[in-house]
Amino acid sequence: MLRTEEMQINIGPHHPSTHGVFRVLLTIDGEIITKAEPVIGYLHRGTEKLAEDLQYTQIIPYTDRMDYVSGMTNNYVFVHAVETLMGIEVPERAEYLRVLAMELNRIASHLVFWGTFLLDFGATTPYLVAFREREVVLNLLNELSGARMTFNYMRIGGVKWDAPPGWIEKVKEFVPYMREQLKTYDELATGNEIFQSRMKGVGTYTAEEALQYSLSGPNLRCTGVEWDLRKNEPYSVYDRFDFDIVTEQSGDVWARYLVRTREIEQSLRIIEQAIEQMPKDGPIMAKVPRVIKPPKGEVYVRIESPKGEIGCYIYSEGKNKPYRVKFRRPSFYNLQILPKILVGENISNLIPILAAVDIILGEVDG
Amino acid sequence: MFGVGLLKGLKFTLKNLTTEKPTTNYPDEPIKLPDRFRGVHKFYPEKCIVCNQCANICPTQCISLTGKKHPDPNVKKKIIDTYDINFELCILCDLCTEVCPTEAIVMTNNFELAAYSRDELFKDLQWLNENDENVRKENKP
Amino acid sequence: MMMQELLASQPGPVNFLIFFIQAVALLLIVLGFVTYVILAERKVLGFMQSRYGPNRVGGRLGLLQTFADILKLLVKEDTIPDKADKKLFILAPGFAIVPAVMVLAVLPFTEHFHFADIGIGLLYYFGIAGITTLGLLLGGWASNNKYSLLGGARAAAQMVSYEIPLVMSVLGIVLLTGSMNLIDIVEAQEKVWFVFTQPIAFIVFSIAAYAELNRVPFDLPESENELVAGFQTEYGGFRWAMFYLAEYIYAFAMSALAVVLFFGGWQPLFPFLDFIPGAVWFGLKFAILVFGLSWVRATWPRVRPDHLMEFAWKVLLPVALANIFLTAIAKELIQLF
Repeated sequence: MLRTEEMQINIGPHHPSTHGVFRVLLTIDGEIITKAEPVIGYLHRGTEKLAEDLQYTQIIPYTDRMDYVSGMTNNYVFVHAVETLMGIEVPERAEYLRVLAMELNRIASHLVFWGTFLLDFGATTPYLVAFREREVVLNLLNELSGARMTFNYMRIGGVKWDAPPGWIEKVKEFVPYMREQLKTYDELATGNEIFQSRMKGVGTYTAEEALQYSLSGPNLRCTGVEWDLRKNEPYSVYDRFDFDIVTEQSGDVWARYLVRTREIEQSLRIIEQAIEQMPKDGPIMAKVPRVIKPPKGEVYVRIESPKGEIGCYIYSEGKNKPYRVKFRRPSFYNLQILPKILVGENISNLIPILAAVDIILGEVDG
Repeated sequence: MFGVGLLKGLKFTLKNLTTEKPTTNYPDEPIKLPDRFRGVHKFYPEKCIVCNQCANICPTQCISLTGKKHPDPNVKKKIIDTYDINFELCILCDLCTEVCPTEAIVMTNNFELAAYSRDELFKDLQWLNENDENVRKENKP
Repeated sequence: MMMQELLASQPGPVNFLIFFIQAVALLLIVLGFVTYVILAERKVLGFMQSRYGPNRVGGRLGLLQTFADILKLLVKEDTIPDKADKKLFILAPGFAIVPAVMVLAVLPFTEHFHFADIGIGLLYYFGIAGITTLGLLLGGWASNNKYSLLGGARAAAQMVSYEIPLVMSVLGIVLLTGSMNLIDIVEAQEKVWFVFTQPIAFIVFSIAAYAELNRVPFDLPESENELVAGFQTEYGGFRWAMFYLAEYIYAFAMSALAVVLFFGGWQPLFPFLDFIPGAVWFGLKFAILVFGLSWVRATWPRVRPDHLMEFAWKVLLPVALANIFLTAIAKELIQLF
């Protein structure tokens, strides 16, 4: 009998496909993973601690940098928390602008997922194709907010800028363009048998396990649980739109891929309706005091970010700086199931499974 | 049938050979950015009233400024003496221009900040004053 | 005909010199090919991905890009990891590249331009090409790096497994021609190319050839997304370039072999087109096959190692064997009537 040994191998922190500085300590038997131990914290900036010493407005640019591919939702969850705490009524046009920005950003985020996920299988074209479309979205958001990723667009009580002239028309044009492109995505990748053979049945978990591990977003919906905060607990003006919660039943990497791809379509539907319903003009900023001092108290709000359920908890002592801010960062929670689903998988499945969780390390490490 | 998806993919890439390229000829031709783009600041010393609001609102404390007495003893208000922004820290968040009551500090569309030395990222009043290309037209919503 | 006379002539200093000069010329042609095929591949990939590819060095077409890359590789510091097996580490790139250049000897490019006219040309090709696996395995082992080891092990497993269907697939052609001499094989295709009479063999051959070349979708030994760079992880500078060069010389050799075996070598598409020189025909067919390499690379992802091995042993090998069987029956039947 040949003597065999288990081998320990470090994936990361400097590894091409860990989507940032993430490290997994693997124990492998041949190429089969027997134990996986994620090590995080390489990108920890201490956003929550920093926030304790910052005024409420100053915290907004920091939230951009948590999930840096979808800054708008992060912006929103924080300003939404402060607004709830202060009881500010946000003008309608501002809410619609926020929804437009958030949904555009959701598309951009899912495109990043789509591109990088397929890149992890060694296919380079989808990556560049996805980024071509993402560029269009980012240019739109750039025109609106003045930055491509770190938007700092939302303010407590509204948004910083109104839509520039012609912007709404550009978004309107973008919707059919993106629909057209989505079809070609299926041609290039979704129907490809090699992709399917690599995705189906890989990294499977059940709905029960997903709930036990507190997964959210597409990672939960891929197991068939219909849970989308935009529908289940509508915030902003989401109760006025007609869209579907995308779910899949199988709970594997393939299901997660399909959920995200189809969610782009739903976001486009929301954008279309938002443009229809949006008031033609009106204020974009509520009347807020110059210095923001929420009353003493605490608040927790949660919204649906592209990655899952992002929450923000604020404890205020009535000063111009919060006493404590806590973000429930979805990537961090979604990552927790990784050691469980990796065991027994081939090492070449590690990267797709990790990519399918769709983590952003800035968000994992906070 | 197995293989149809593979062939469809090949068709897609072949078609893509001739599609229009969305790339720009970047370092040779400058990129046209929307007016709202937040880039390196431009500072107007004559407009500044040394109110310190920009330094206070800055989330990263990258702005430091000092004022001095107006040379004319009859005028009470202060004028700016030094004004430095440390671009190692600056996150170009736009809050300083938002609070400035006289629009003395505004943003430009210049974003190129690469430098060989970290010292070069420390921009002083003179540099910020001379940085007057692509200044943003609309600075306040 | 000069070539034939030379091959049959007495060994001597003058003949040695002539051969030497010709060999150097061929090597330069191959290196020139490799330089430009790398550029062409990057260009094709670029255009398929909605971008232009290299366009900074050497004008808008980036004609000097690869030379700049080679220069960079040449002047790079030569590093050998401390814990590596130094002798093997240095030897491994040699094992990879020497067989790659050796196989070029038997490839007939045109009727007159070929270097060795040996009876077992086909066997020689596969026999020598098999040695390269050793280079990759040694490189992976000697680096003393876990990624390299996994990459080297994968390379060995994959290349050994796919060599069998590769050789089996061409046996049908050997049956039909009754010769392993590559020139005879080309001449046997004067009327109809083997790609039409041996379509199954061609499909098996292409799949196995992609695997032998470690090209997408079978680039597992160096799958950068999992194994960083597989067996090449610790290699840098010109040692790495040797591996890279070997890979592309094999791409050259394998495409040339495919043209010879399946597309009638220098034979024209239709007999009445024979006023176009054979070299042009060869080049044309060859270019299409090389384009195919980049095209597939731009489109398909990589397969999984376990699928890869299953595919080789459970699908390709039986199909290749069935093809030999069918060919043999067909040949007997044709002889009967």
